[in-house]
Amino acid sequence: MRFGILLLLTLSLLSTDLVAQKWFTRDGKISFFSEAPLEKIEAENSSGTSVLDAESGRIEFAVLIKGFQFESALMQEHFNENYMDSDKFPKSTFKGYIEDPETILWDQDGEYEVSVKGDLTIHGVTKEVSVPASFSMKEGSLSGNCTFVVAVADYDIKIPKLVRENIAKEVEISVQSDYKIFQ
Amino acid sequence: MSKGLRILLILLAVAGVFYFFVWDKPHKDMGSARSDSAISANALYQAFDSDETTAQSQYLDKVVEVTGKIRSYEMNTEVQKVILETGDILGGVACELDDLVAPKRTSFQVGEQVTFKGLCTGKLLDVVLVRCVEL
Repeated sequence: MRFGILLLLTLSLLSTDLVAQKWFTRDGKISFFSEAPLEKIEAENSSGTSVLDAESGRIEFAVLIKGFQFESALMQEHFNENYMDSDKFPKSTFKGYIEDPETILWDQDGEYEVSVKGDLTIHGVTKEVSVPASFSMKEGSLSGNCTFVVAVADYDIKIPKLVRENIAKEVEISVQSDYKIFQ
Repeated sequence: MSKGLRILLILLAVAGVFYFFVWDKPHKDMGSARSDSAISANALYQAFDSDETTAQSQYLDKVVEVTGKIRSYEMNTEVQKVILETGDILGGVACELDDLVAPKRTSFQVGEQVTFKGLCTGKLLDVVLVRCVEL
């Protein structure tokens, strides 16, 4: 009996240990932006999922390509059908880790600048990337921010000559997620 | 009217039609869009969970009418989303409300039975429907 209570206590202590905590979100905001001489393109998706393991610093992200909303319906159609082949490649993922997780004091409020490294898969092509990210811990809630640039050619996304002036070769991607403790 | 002017006018008309119907065509009106299928949240989730490829070919980009009990919901300036129960502990059916039309309501009750119509975009943790309108 005493052992049982002790075990229960230990377990409950473990589960509130923020350092060993897993965080997740299903409302991650992922947006991208590009500006070419003739056209500005931007779209947003607010159903990105992410899991973050505080102890190891492992972090994963996934987003559904068809969930990106454009202002222009035609652009959205072209994005899905001509550039991203979203029927064939419905998801983009990132699997990696925070290179310096010890920088983040998970049990203290603060702003932390870190570097995140891992495999980014877009349009079925996987590339290793290393990007700066910032995490902010406030009153027990964690949010992460990251902005980086990808070259569309790196992910085998072909832009027809005819519209080359309308579409930028580089796209800025922003990721913003408010994590909850995974229970 | 000279022949040249007539051709110019025809070209302008074609360009106008092209602009309104192709270049600047509006997003699908979800309020009046016809559902391609009607299914329970449980069955939709199971379909994706058991055979994702088949479910993708069946539901992606389609207007799906999904019925289920509310597991949770989030309504703020950033997110307007209702998660439906699926019988699975982790995954639900996430219905992102359409931001092009004013929603019927923004207050919900956990456990309440609802039906949403939206565009299916696939499955991550949840099966995600975007541009949902409540029926």
